Amino acid sequence: MKSKYSYLIKKSKWLRSEIFEMVVKVNQGHIASSLSQAEILISLYYGGTLNIKKNQPNYEKRDRVIVSKGHSAMGAYPIFADLGYIKKNELEKYGTPKGKLRIYGDKSIPGVETTSGSLAQAPGIASGFAYCSKRDKQNFYTYVILSDGEHYEGQLWETALFASHYKLDNLVFIVDRNKQIILGKNEELLKLEPLDKKWKSFGWNVFNINGHKYSEIIPVLKKTKKLKNGKPTLIIANTVKGKGVSYMEDVTRWHNTMPNKSQIEIARQDLKKNCIYE
Amino acid sequence: MSKNYLDFKRSLDLPFMRDIVIDKIYKHSKKNKDIFFATPDMGAPALDEFRKKLPGQFIHCGISEQQMISFAGGLALMRKKVFCYAMAPFINSRCYEQIKCSISAMDLNVNLIAVGIGIGYADAGPTHYSTEDICIMKVFPNITIYTPSDDFSSSVITDKIIKKNHFTYLRLDRDALPNLYNKMNFNFENGFNFLNKKKNNKVCIITCGYLTHKALQVCRLINHKVDVIDLFRIKPFPKKLISQIKKYKEVITLEEQLATGGFGASIQEKISDEKMNIKLKKFCLDDKYYFENGGREYLHNKYGLSLNKIIKYLR
Repeated sequence: MKSKYSYLIKKSKWLRSEIFEMVVKVNQGHIASSLSQAEILISLYYGGTLNIKKNQPNYEKRDRVIVSKGHSAMGAYPIFADLGYIKKNELEKYGTPKGKLRIYGDKSIPGVETTSGSLAQAPGIASGFAYCSKRDKQNFYTYVILSDGEHYEGQLWETALFASHYKLDNLVFIVDRNKQIILGKNEELLKLEPLDKKWKSFGWNVFNINGHKYSEIIPVLKKTKKLKNGKPTLIIANTVKGKGVSYMEDVTRWHNTMPNKSQIEIARQDLKKNCIYE
Repeated sequence: MSKNYLDFKRSLDLPFMRDIVIDKIYKHSKKNKDIFFATPDMGAPALDEFRKKLPGQFIHCGISEQQMISFAGGLALMRKKVFCYAMAPFINSRCYEQIKCSISAMDLNVNLIAVGIGIGYADAGPTHYSTEDICIMKVFPNITIYTPSDDFSSSVITDKIIKKNHFTYLRLDRDALPNLYNKMNFNFENGFNFLNKKKNNKVCIITCGYLTHKALQVCRLINHKVDVIDLFRIKPFPKKLISQIKKYKEVITLEEQLATGGFGASIQEKISDEKMNIKLKKFCLDDKYYFENGGREYLHNKYGLSLNKIIKYLR
């Protein structure tokens, strides 16, 4: 049966291949983290909930999207090219002296709202966006993609307090909960659970979903615009690090390791198949 | 000017610099709703009215300096002008990396106001002293750093900060300091001012803030035989300062900072870069942490900034 989300599912396949090819061409980037967040990004940019305009990265009333886990900011570049924020040939120049795209996002790249890469700063910056949007009645929303690892930074919890106190219900954080950091699994290294209870206790709306199922992401994103209950929202999107490349899925060592020739071929074969179904 | 004002505890007659600065910002904020004032729980008498009258523009960030700085970056990206106000060590070193990534790296219009520079919060100890802030803040490529030495210069500098849109760091003394300037003798553009300039003087003291008053005391005690420059803008380095110091045999820097990397070091670099044949003597605080009571002057006398030692050196 054809899925209601077949358009987005196709985008999933496309985005994964684009990311993979960009990285292996110059041996720079974070494949596994970019693959785990793919459906989150696609849902934001193509899911129909956000107010964004093609070819206008600086459209005044746009909803803002920030990939706070800066090491995978590059995962959004193919989307920027597709939406006309940057030229398509920029993707080919990624990580080269002639290109303007690099691993970490920064303000010189159209589509990137703020410098990221230093964990937990972008959520604070996003709180500034959300505060302005509310005070000036601009009515735009700010969506921030967080990592698990970001939760170890004290600053994130400062922002959690702040956004809750100032009733920033136009602020939505989405955790790409792939449950891994560089050296292993969060819960084994320094536990984060119960994550939902932590955020709830800070006064946030919390949703717990499968971050690879559009049937779960899209309805929640729609809800974020209807809630308006004076609380900021956190979505825990449970994902798999390296999703789509068989040997990378949930395997720690692939945070920033580059695949060799034969591994590249296996990955290409994997990525020809679709790993997203609903 | 009272004769021994450097020994004062805190004068109740003079306005505090922070109040002068906040009053100015408040006046402008009333007319411009895009000016924001954020603080991690630092007050001031002048701030009370601001908080009451402009609640949408005053933001209490909780005692969360890192959040405050990134939040300010977010506001600035929305084309707002932001002032962040806190006790010196908590607005420079506590949130240093946030200043780098959330402000400086994006060249945003955020203005940091630090109160209690140097060992202004004597006898609080190293947690509340800011004895390395020039060293750490001057490395930001796009920062402008001001250290006013009196009410008049605080007021003019604040006006300019409000008009200009870039990343600034305003260093305020905790104490109220006697006035040195008026409309006639304060030149903002140069970044420095001579407070004593005699044709035959071969030595010049360069200083700023609280120590400008000490330098003037030294100057008076040796019959004005040393020139005195108040370097109220440390960065960008005032270009004209080079040509002005060329004529001296020796330059003395006076700063309430540890030995490493203050503005004395910047001048040392300039002297070397410009291949100038000038001797340089740095008077600063001894390179250590201070866990001692007795007050600001007491510590100065014991650890490197004694009035008598400076005079002895000059004689």
